[in-house]
Amino acid sequence: MRVVGNSIGLMFGLPGQGMHLHLDALSLLFGCILLPQVVAASVAGMRASVAFWAFVLGMALALLAADGFTLIFGFELMSAASWLLVMQGDRKPATLYAGVAIFSGACLIPALFLPASSLAFVLVALGAGAKAGLAPLHSWLPRAHPAPPAGVSALMSGGMVKVALYVLIRYAFINLAPAQQPWWGEALVAAGALSVLIGALRAVLEVELKTALACSTVEHVGLITVGLGLALYAKAIGDAELSGVALQAALLCAVAHGLFKPLLFIGAGEVKHATGTTSLNWLGGLMRGMPRLGALMLLGAAGMAALPLGPGFAPEFLLFHAVIGAAATGGILARIGFSALLAVLGIGAALALAAAVRVIGLGFLGRPRSLHAAAAEDLRRGPFVAMALLGALAIPVALVPGLLLDLLNPVIMLLAPEAQTPPLAYAPVTLLILAGLAALAAGFVQTRWGVRGLREVPAWNGGFGRPPAWLPFGDPHTQASATGFAEPVMRVMGKGLLGAGMTDPAERFLLTPLFRVQTRLIRLAERVRRATIRERLAFVFAVLVAFLLALGLGQGG
Amino acid sequence: MSLTFSLAHLLGGIILLCAFLQLSQRRLAAMITLYQAEALVLSAAAFWQGFAQHEINLYLTGIITFALKAVLLPWGLREIVLRFNMVRAVETALPMAVSMILGLALIGIAVLVVLPTTMSSISLTREDLAIALSVVLLGLLLMIVRRNALAQIIGFLSMENGLVLAAIGMPGMPFVAEFSVALLVLLAFLVVGVFLLRIREHFDTLDLSGLEKIERRGR
Repeated sequence: MRVVGNSIGLMFGLPGQGMHLHLDALSLLFGCILLPQVVAASVAGMRASVAFWAFVLGMALALLAADGFTLIFGFELMSAASWLLVMQGDRKPATLYAGVAIFSGACLIPALFLPASSLAFVLVALGAGAKAGLAPLHSWLPRAHPAPPAGVSALMSGGMVKVALYVLIRYAFINLAPAQQPWWGEALVAAGALSVLIGALRAVLEVELKTALACSTVEHVGLITVGLGLALYAKAIGDAELSGVALQAALLCAVAHGLFKPLLFIGAGEVKHATGTTSLNWLGGLMRGMPRLGALMLLGAAGMAALPLGPGFAPEFLLFHAVIGAAATGGILARIGFSALLAVLGIGAALALAAAVRVIGLGFLGRPRSLHAAAAEDLRRGPFVAMALLGALAIPVALVPGLLLDLLNPVIMLLAPEAQTPPLAYAPVTLLILAGLAALAAGFVQTRWGVRGLREVPAWNGGFGRPPAWLPFGDPHTQASATGFAEPVMRVMGKGLLGAGMTDPAERFLLTPLFRVQTRLIRLAERVRRATIRERLAFVFAVLVAFLLALGLGQGG
Repeated sequence: MSLTFSLAHLLGGIILLCAFLQLSQRRLAAMITLYQAEALVLSAAAFWQGFAQHEINLYLTGIITFALKAVLLPWGLREIVLRFNMVRAVETALPMAVSMILGLALIGIAVLVVLPTTMSSISLTREDLAIALSVVLLGLLLMIVRRNALAQIIGFLSMENGLVLAAIGMPGMPFVAEFSVALLVLLAFLVVGVFLLRIREHFDTLDLSGLEKIERRGR
């Protein structure tokens, strides 16, 4: 090991060059996002898996890489190890996942060694975007992320996606900066907005808890990408304030998502452990049997829904600020486009709220829909420690985002040196104190002038019918199911966007045609294999004649 | 000198005519006869070129061609026909008229390719080369449009005649090459003869269409 300049060279890797590691503000930030998740996932039960540690090593190498080879090596190690882990869970999505990983590698490898140009950017965006689950290359993510054990799902959703975004950030903002164009940012914003819409919509509609969480990851990747795209656009047109705010939004969203999404995934794994299922249609009432899990999931869901005073609010607040700022700049087309983006983000936020309400309301409140859900026991020790750690780290993100933004400043200076970062106009602590004061005042008013004495009334049971005698927990069909809860959203938006079969448009327009092409190629190969000697001769003969004809015409003409 | 050209072209033309007529024949006996005539004219052409170019090697080529292709191979082929009782017409893959039109087109292509490409060389080689290429292409076409294995072999041999024609037209072509080509053909003939016997043993016919059907159904 030797130190060259500000990077560390390792004694293995490419012959004659070795591998170089380098730590700057950006790597440090993403390393800090990754660290709590790795600790949480290992505490939650992945400690003994070799593939898991290979996965972690790959991510760390990709983050610390100082040269293209090390970056690709770490990235592909991460892909391969996570493929193994996905395959332990389920074989079918693992194949799709391997295909996406190969595609992303095939895009990234040439991109990393091309000179700074638009082509390099497009390749990086395709490669890293496919790995991050950016629309329209997202349809593998809701299939592959729920497959492995909960700890790995948590790290894939919270960490691996961030590593892909890290590659995108490093190349789009630093390595390819000399050739930057405004349309790069616009393309990223468009892809991000599409991800937000599709991800949030599917998160409301999916019945499986882990799949719904994975769809929500697609949505948050979209939010981060919208922020990055805005920053890239602003940097290219020289708008210092906009690029600062957009970068703040994107990076803070990455930090927050890296805390609450692993928390939710580990919680979903515990739900599966306790009840044997993650289908929301078979859960319900878990808050009674698993109060600690319920409280932690509530915190995570608040982050997922971007509720005020939750960890997800500050980044979304900043992002809306940035989009409103962007809508005030540029020509008439840009204004219309960014206003439409604002509407899309609004729909996304509303759908995310619906998804979080659905997870908590149907999974944790109400009556149990199955005996397993009724008999669930609370968290085991390992996952509880992991979730508590993530939850404890999410509280400062929720309550003092301003301090965190100050810590992000070096990263923003690295990415966009001329960016201005205004202080955050959102003070959760003050808000909390005001809300507390209001609650105290209300309590005081109620105790001072409220109704005195006790009155016995029959408890309102939420409109349920009386449970029949043969069903001790009540008839589960008297309460809305997860599918029923999502029905209004399905009717209003789902039919239009997803079609009647509720399949992802990316699958319909991307995977199905690909599959058809593959079938056709296989048929062709089979036809060639079965050709008779005469047909093969005829083919060679036809090629020869065509060649001669071309030669003769070329000479004669 | 002009007699050299005229006679060489005449002999080449007769060879081309024989090769073309093979396309139009359904009966194996007629095809063998045409092949024999082709080989005979080819040996005459080799003798004539040897006389014109004062090359002793070409006389040797002529003798080999005569002995092997004009006498030995037709006799062997006739033996096969007799032994397998294949006097009746053989099946074609394409209609006769279509294959003849294709053959005409191929001759056109050969002329189109060779004449402009070799503008710089002497005329004797140019026309002979065009004829030789036509014969090669016609032989290939014959292999494709016939389903019968023996007819395909005749196509192959006719194609080889075209190669020899090209070789004797070239001044300074070493004898070794021709000798090896002739040997190669003999070997191929032996191999294919054995192969035919095997096919016959297994399937009781030399018609390959049944084999093709089996192949198409999957192995």
